[in-house]
Amino acid sequence: MSISVKPSVHLLLLLFTILCSSLTPFKAFSESDSDRVAELLNLQSRSKSGVIHLDDHSLNRFLTSGKPRSYSLLIFFDAAHLHDKHELHLKEIRSEFDLVASTFISHNKNTPSQSKLFFCDLEFKESQSSFALFAVNTLPHIRHVDPQIENPKDSARMDQSDFARLAESMAEFVESKTKLTVGPIERPPVVSKNQLGFAVVALLLSTPFLVKKLLDGDTLFLDSKVWLGLSVFVYFFSVSGAMHNIIRKMPMFLADRNDPSKFTFFYQGSGMQLGAEGFAVGFLYTIVGLLLAFVTQILVRVRNVTVQRLVMIFALFVSFWAVKKVVYLDNWKTGYGIHGFWPSSWK
Amino acid sequence: MATLENGKGTTLRYAVGNMLSIFILLLIGVLAFSIRLFSVIKYESVIHEFDPYFNYRVTQILIVSSAINHILKSLNYDLSKHYRGLVAYLLFQFLTKNGIYDFWNWFDDRTWYPLGRVIGGTVYPGLTLTAGSLWRILNSLNIPLSVETVCVFTAPIFSANAAWATYLLTKEVKGTGAGLMAAALLAMVPSYISRSVAGSYDNEAVAIFALIFTFYLYIKTLNTGSLFYATLNALSYFYMVCSWGGYTFIINLIPMHVLLCIVTGRYSSRLYIAYAPLVVLGTLLASLVPVVGFNAVMTSEHFASFLLMVLHMQVFIIIHVVALVYYIKGILSPKMFKVAVTLVVSVGMVVCCAVIAVLAALVASSPTKGWSGRSLSLLDPTYASKYIPIIASVSEHQPPTWPSYFMDINVLAFLVPAGIIACFLPLSDASSFVVLYIVTSVYFSGVMVRLMLVFAPAACILSGIALSEAFDVFTRSIKFQLPGVSGVSHSGAEDTTTGDVVIQNDIVKADKHSSTYKKEDALKERPSKKNRKKEREHLEKASIKTQIEKRLLVLPLEASVISILLLVLLGAFYVVHCVWAAAEAYSAPSIVLTSYSHDGLHVFDDFREAYAWLRHNTEVDDKVASWWDYGYQTTAMANRTVIVDNNTWNNTHIATVGTAMSSPEKAAWEIFNSLDVKYVLVVFGGLVGYSSDDINKFLWMVRIGGGVFPHIKEPDYLRDGQYRIDSEATSTMLNSLMYKLSYYRFVEVDGKGFDRVRRTEIGKKYFKLTHFEEVFTTHHWMVRIYKLKSMKNRIRGKTKKSKSSSKATTTASSKRGGRRKKNPWY
Repeated sequence: MSISVKPSVHLLLLLFTILCSSLTPFKAFSESDSDRVAELLNLQSRSKSGVIHLDDHSLNRFLTSGKPRSYSLLIFFDAAHLHDKHELHLKEIRSEFDLVASTFISHNKNTPSQSKLFFCDLEFKESQSSFALFAVNTLPHIRHVDPQIENPKDSARMDQSDFARLAESMAEFVESKTKLTVGPIERPPVVSKNQLGFAVVALLLSTPFLVKKLLDGDTLFLDSKVWLGLSVFVYFFSVSGAMHNIIRKMPMFLADRNDPSKFTFFYQGSGMQLGAEGFAVGFLYTIVGLLLAFVTQILVRVRNVTVQRLVMIFALFVSFWAVKKVVYLDNWKTGYGIHGFWPSSWK
Repeated sequence: MATLENGKGTTLRYAVGNMLSIFILLLIGVLAFSIRLFSVIKYESVIHEFDPYFNYRVTQILIVSSAINHILKSLNYDLSKHYRGLVAYLLFQFLTKNGIYDFWNWFDDRTWYPLGRVIGGTVYPGLTLTAGSLWRILNSLNIPLSVETVCVFTAPIFSANAAWATYLLTKEVKGTGAGLMAAALLAMVPSYISRSVAGSYDNEAVAIFALIFTFYLYIKTLNTGSLFYATLNALSYFYMVCSWGGYTFIINLIPMHVLLCIVTGRYSSRLYIAYAPLVVLGTLLASLVPVVGFNAVMTSEHFASFLLMVLHMQVFIIIHVVALVYYIKGILSPKMFKVAVTLVVSVGMVVCCAVIAVLAALVASSPTKGWSGRSLSLLDPTYASKYIPIIASVSEHQPPTWPSYFMDINVLAFLVPAGIIACFLPLSDASSFVVLYIVTSVYFSGVMVRLMLVFAPAACILSGIALSEAFDVFTRSIKFQLPGVSGVSHSGAEDTTTGDVVIQNDIVKADKHSSTYKKEDALKERPSKKNRKKEREHLEKASIKTQIEKRLLVLPLEASVISILLLVLLGAFYVVHCVWAAAEAYSAPSIVLTSYSHDGLHVFDDFREAYAWLRHNTEVDDKVASWWDYGYQTTAMANRTVIVDNNTWNNTHIATVGTAMSSPEKAAWEIFNSLDVKYVLVVFGGLVGYSSDDINKFLWMVRIGGGVFPHIKEPDYLRDGQYRIDSEATSTMLNSLMYKLSYYRFVEVDGKGFDRVRRTEIGKKYFKLTHFEEVFTTHHWMVRIYKLKSMKNRIRGKTKKSKSSSKATTTASSKRGGRRKKNPWY
């Protein structure tokens, strides 16, 4: 028995050494890859949102020279100097990107998939050559780089429509490209728990004082002028279509495409309006009524006839102009031809 | 001021004034009715729009079932001839009841196939019951009108009622003059016209009347403190609940007003009487309506129901606490009172907190956390547009832009602020209610264009007040300063002016008489009213004072004349606009379309053509699939079963149809076949330029479909975020069923396939349909009907099998063959 065992042990040893030697190149590679993964994980944990900030050098290390890779990168191309251009929505998309990143990280913590995908960003001013490498010349731009991809230019670009619905659609894009799950997007509540608690405590504490004041009857609530101002403001706010601007996220005005120094304040077509336009017309709507009320309620109490006359002429002029302006604007905007129905013999 | 005049003159003046206002009200009623008849005169007496068809069907069922019962029962009861009169009366009562019960239990299998729909529990019965009773009354008076005629004219009749209700409401707030003005404005406000032209047989037409009338009764109770009006108020609220989901607006607004009154220190026993019975009786009555049931108090599927519950409970408790406080104040010494107040307030607050906690727990335990989509879209305006395509897709739920206000309330938009200010000077319970009404309704109308309808009456009331105050001041200025008039007498001055102004002056006259009434009202509000005689003396003194003051409060003569002229001009512009809106914008029945071109008028009656074709050429039990917009019409006019209709209660079912429309032919065929659909109906406007066709609605089908079936993705149908149907369109788009059914053989028309709505040539011109066959296309191609091809081969295989049953081997082979060729088209 013992004789027969020995060769088998030898055989095993031999097999082992062969195996080991054949594995060495893989091992060496996998070590460097795992190093990079470890470093990426480290960088990720240091960043607040989980998005790793890269520049030309680090991108080269993690992407171009580090081949082959076991992970894919989702790169957000950022440019700080364009943040104030609202029509690009860079800031919003960036924050949504952060949200997707943090969701992914928290959802995949301590699972193998946490080292499969990393969220990175590049700043244009620091890493222009990387922008050139990816041939990025328009923003917003998000790219997904597969482990297999050799040339960065071949990587998949996230479509406009994929970040149209914000974080949810970005997550869909990521899931379809990587076959990883991002997890349910959880937006941070507008008011944090501490703030909410504080508000509740403050409310509870202040209730007795408020009730006392109410019973004594010396609060702002009893001042009808406050109520008056408030109701007129709500009226102005609503008729100016401000709610439309909020819901549709309309800008106050548009810059002319051909000549950026020119602004469009009025948009033709009744389905849409711009912010400034709404407020202008809302103001015209309100001013006529306010003037009428001023004349009929306050001006009648003035004893000086000249003052009365002058103010009335002013009020009449302004009201007439406002109504005319609104009628003109309405006809221009909607294109309706409002006309009377006169007897045909009059024509 | 009237008390100064000698008795006879005063009564005569009052009589003349009353007669005149009655006459004016009659004219206003005629105006309200007749301005809505354009649709009948210009087109014909048909019911238009989509929703009204459903209401019409319901009314028909209601009347038919009760008529059948009538015949059956009268046969039975005919034996008892002795008591015929009594029996007939009882019978009538019994019948009405029976009709209603049949109606409650009606299960509609003509729609939402294969689910069907319980009608009784899911519709607001107010409108149908109203029209049904109207029809029955007319018939009992031997006026044999058809059901449809009654339905067509219900809305105009009720808008006249609404105008009168507005008069009553505004009269309670600011007197007769403002009332008449407001009624005249409401009679022709375009926003209301849009929902109540003859033929638009819609819930809102009746509901707006109910809304205004309920508010009137509330204010009347508030002014008089009479329990009689409080009860009437609850009944009127019940009618409102029967008619429209907008009742939640009332039941939220009134507690808010009560709260406001308490907070601003305006509590009175009248407030208690106006509020408490309404809540108790009204909620009990509301829960009798099946569609509302206990939703009125408990469920979370209602618009702002959370607010409603909290408001109700809280306000209900608070008003009782406050009532107790006032009661205690009356019977205790000041010191004791302080102690008692602390006690009551602290106990009240504890109870309040407990109730809130319980409610919060209840709401939190419900699946939607107490919020339904519609309510959220009001509180967080951006909610619906982000998350619920089926709400966001409806144009009524869009936020309006400023031209919508000009279109819907026109120059009233200018006058409302003046009305608000007039209501604050002086602020009474009634006027504070009106202000609250306008502020809340204007906010909500800003969120959803549909709620403009609730805002319009408020705008009319406040503009009426503003105009009447303005005319009051200006005519007074003219009257007291006209050369030759000393200013003591009250007659003469008006006679010189034109007819238009005479009416205005009468309004002013009436207003003046009511201003004394107002004063009375203001005095009434003082909590201590023990000595009525003294008060009356005060009042008389006050009225003398106001008269002297009023004579001093004048504006320069010529400026006043110009102002009046401008105001009349403004009013004239309003009338022109309203008549135009009624005649041109809102009177076109969407079932018959017209267009003017250089060679005259074109009438597109394609919808009815298509529905008639379906009615005459298909089997009674065939199922027709179309987008939900056309569901009610198809069931009512073609009498065929539909898969989805305008009552969008089941999102998944609608998404199924949306998915089928957005899928390629084969997948769509499978979906439709699984629903037993025989015919598919699409609306196509590309030939004549009808822009609200299915291709334009298609993205919503994709969105709604994709919301439930994730394999439908909106980006697949868009090229670079743009919706296009030309050669640049995506292949998913060009292969979708909707594209194919719309553009099938379209190129044969002009050889190019030019779509006049999208203003482009279509992308895919020559293609064949594999799973569908065209069976009917209307005159202008606006409606195209396709039939699902049946699975011919399989059937042939089966028949072969049955024929060659003797030869087992051949059967087996043919079977195999059949299996191999399971789908003959691929």
